[in-house]
Amino acid sequence: MTMVPSIGRQISNSPADGISNLRFSNHSDHLLVSSWDKNVRLYDASADSFRGEFMHGGPVLDCCFHDDSSGFSACADNKVRRLVFNVGKEDILGKHDAPVRCVEYSYAAGQVITGSWDKTLKCWDPRGASGPEHTLVGTYQQTERVYSLSLVGNRLVVATAGRHVNIYDLRNMSQPEQRRESSLKYQTRCVRCYPNGTGYALSSVEGRVAMEFFDLSEATQAKKYAFKCHRKSEAGRDIVYPVNAIAFHPIYGTFATGGCDGFVNIWDGNNKKRLYQYSKYRSSVAALSFSRDGRLLAVASSYTFEEGEKQHEPDAIYVRSVNEIEVKPKPKAYPKPPA
Amino acid sequence: MDFCIDENILEQVTRVVSDSNNEENEWFERLLCRQKGVQRMSESQNARVLRIETMYASLLDELQMAWDEVGEMEEEREKTMLEIENECREVYKRKIDGVKEEMTRLRHAIADSEAKLMSICSAMGESPLYGRQSEQSGRSLKEEMGRILQQIEDMQKRKSERRNQFIQVLCDIQCVSDEINGRSEDISSDPEVDESDLSLRKLEELHRQLYTLQEQKRTRLRQIQDHLRNLESLCLVLGLDFRQTAFQIHPSLVESEGSKCISNEALNQLASSVQQLYETKIQRMQDLQDLLMTMLEYWNLMDTPVEEQQRFRNITSNIAATVSEITEPNSLSLELLEQVRTELCRLEEVKWSKMKELVLKKRSELQEICRKTHIVLEPDIVDENVMEAIESGEVNPENILEQIELEAAKVKEEALSRKDILEKVEKWFSTREEENWLEEYNQDENRYNTGKGTHLILKRAEKARILVNKIPGMVEALVSKTAAWESERKAEFLYDGCRLLSMLEEYTELRQEREQERRRKRDQKKLQGQLPVEQEAITGSNTSPLKPAASGKKSLKVTTNKRVASVSLPQTPRPGSPQSAKSNTPQSRLSRKIDQRF
Repeated sequence: MTMVPSIGRQISNSPADGISNLRFSNHSDHLLVSSWDKNVRLYDASADSFRGEFMHGGPVLDCCFHDDSSGFSACADNKVRRLVFNVGKEDILGKHDAPVRCVEYSYAAGQVITGSWDKTLKCWDPRGASGPEHTLVGTYQQTERVYSLSLVGNRLVVATAGRHVNIYDLRNMSQPEQRRESSLKYQTRCVRCYPNGTGYALSSVEGRVAMEFFDLSEATQAKKYAFKCHRKSEAGRDIVYPVNAIAFHPIYGTFATGGCDGFVNIWDGNNKKRLYQYSKYRSSVAALSFSRDGRLLAVASSYTFEEGEKQHEPDAIYVRSVNEIEVKPKPKAYPKPPA
Repeated sequence: MDFCIDENILEQVTRVVSDSNNEENEWFERLLCRQKGVQRMSESQNARVLRIETMYASLLDELQMAWDEVGEMEEEREKTMLEIENECREVYKRKIDGVKEEMTRLRHAIADSEAKLMSICSAMGESPLYGRQSEQSGRSLKEEMGRILQQIEDMQKRKSERRNQFIQVLCDIQCVSDEINGRSEDISSDPEVDESDLSLRKLEELHRQLYTLQEQKRTRLRQIQDHLRNLESLCLVLGLDFRQTAFQIHPSLVESEGSKCISNEALNQLASSVQQLYETKIQRMQDLQDLLMTMLEYWNLMDTPVEEQQRFRNITSNIAATVSEITEPNSLSLELLEQVRTELCRLEEVKWSKMKELVLKKRSELQEICRKTHIVLEPDIVDENVMEAIESGEVNPENILEQIELEAAKVKEEALSRKDILEKVEKWFSTREEENWLEEYNQDENRYNTGKGTHLILKRAEKARILVNKIPGMVEALVSKTAAWESERKAEFLYDGCRLLSMLEEYTELRQEREQERRRKRDQKKLQGQLPVEQEAITGSNTSPLKPAASGKKSLKVTTNKRVASVSLPQTPRPGSPQSAKSNTPQSRLSRKIDQRF
């Protein structure tokens, strides 16, 4: 365990292969990590202790908490699993026809929502007693493979290949509330809803993030914008990096982005400012997660295979304390009012 | 810091850039490959699971059937099932724990091996081929262990190879540096290799060191070669044996290239020897050139014939050469210099003898001139002793020659000025002779006898009388000229050592005496009555100028200073013999002189 103040404390017992996602619990500082080494691991981030791991049948592409006692995993073996932490048991909630790419738990709907490369979205009822047949609530066809999901309130945003973005109302999943195309010209990497539920941030592989809004009124739509980030200027040209992860601070509404350039930036979306940049990580930033009180930020420094199989820095998880100054919004200075 | 807001993005983009699509598909393919790689491992697991599930299912069926037969209660069945499950779990857990222990053990072993690998690598100055962290790229612990062990083995092999390279280069360095420092080549043990630094960088450094030393060695060998070339050419020119000379300087110099000693001492010795020989060459060259210069002077001086010169022609071509131009073998050898010196001695002797000849020649020339111009020289340069002096080497013939030449020049100059006077003196002498002759003739009583040649004598007598009349004038003229010459030259005009003016004065006195004598005699004869005979004689023949002088008809301007030569000598009567006895009076001296001249 190394103490490097600028990039955070490295979690010991890190996964053996790439980290696909990590999440802080809503109830504690527990951290759930899914990895290509077919494992999901649970850590206590503050105590830096390893609390258990769950072996899967294939690389685990996503994970999420239900509550502090259980969580869910999306696996490349097409299965959706529930993980029960204390007991160390897992069971299969359901299956897709292709690797399951995303999993979210909606407290509002009490359902598990998964997106898969089989171009479907599925909703599951985790309280289902037995057998996958009974847990599936619905299957919703997408135009393309699902790349990313995000929930806020009753809204669900689904980003797929081909730059499609579908916005659902969980109460009525029969069809999308809105079908959109990504404002960005390149492949969508990640989508995250604002905590205040007014819109979502969408990142691409081309070092750009778009700030979008649900409200289709002109006034609101006028507020949308996109900005460049995670780029390196070299000899007059920009080298662009995929923006792999977006995480919103639960309190301030500012957000962090992590890219394949190894940097984590904190942004103030309202005031259109960058608040902070952390020291470069040894590898791509594959995933980000703020703790429930926003005082910790977990960073997965893990090669995301954007350049295929190659020698790379070892994958690691860092947990760093977040200073207010790094995440507090900075409103623009107003001109002095006339005396 | 503000965002970089891209205004273009805000427009709806309807067309998807095809490139980005392709990229996306390629990326997805890679992702699938990665997943499949991971998945393959799962399949065998799935098979296992299936096997166990099948076994489990069939056992369960059997149990169920047994329970049905027995009629076991549901609660009991549940209890039993739980027990079975627990026991199974225990079995699995045990096995899992065992594997986990193995895992820990392997991890420790891996860590130890990694440490060992790192130490080898740091000694080699390299980093291990693969990343440090073992747990990556999905490698299992056993694979990782095997990999690390293999790496260790490879590294150790490389280390030992590297070590050998070090030993090799250190040995070479030792060798060459020994050669340069002139240490003898002992059979030394393997050099010390610093085990802690076997890096390529260090090896390169050592190689550079070796290269530098080898460069030094090459430079030294080149220097030696240059020196030897110079030495060879010097030996050739100086007529020395090259191999012997080289051997004497340092025995190794006659060896082949590789075995030459290149130590500082050897080099310095060689350099200084070459320098010495070079100075010798210069010295001999200068000597030779001096000798040759002298030889050329002699040749010039003595007009040596070309054939004689030919023998040394090829050597004289070096006379103006610079040091570097003299390259012919033996052209500065001691033998050659000896030859030249010998030749030079010979030429010197020749010159000396020629000089002697020359001195003699010049001397006789001078003597001749003096004789002709009646100059008497200082005896020292015309003395016979001079020749002896030259022979003995006491006196340098060149000096004598010079003196002679100087004298000759003076004499020639004087002769020129004397020419006039001398002519006149000659004339005076011949006139005096005629005078004497006439005197004697006048004494001869048979002079009027006819006979053979008498008319010639008569003619002569007449001429003589005319001449005699001219004598006073002649003498006067001569005296004035001589006086003028003397005053101009501020020296006496010497004729054969006597002052001409004195001679003239004497003569004049003598003449006057004679005149007086004759007058006296005439007076005597007058008294004795011999005069008519005289008159007769005179009128019967050509009128002699004397007659009028005697008779006083024709007046000769006779001054008291002049003497008449034809006055008979009072001392001895001469009966018919014109020849007078020689006696030591001024008159007889004059006659004697006249006789001598005839």
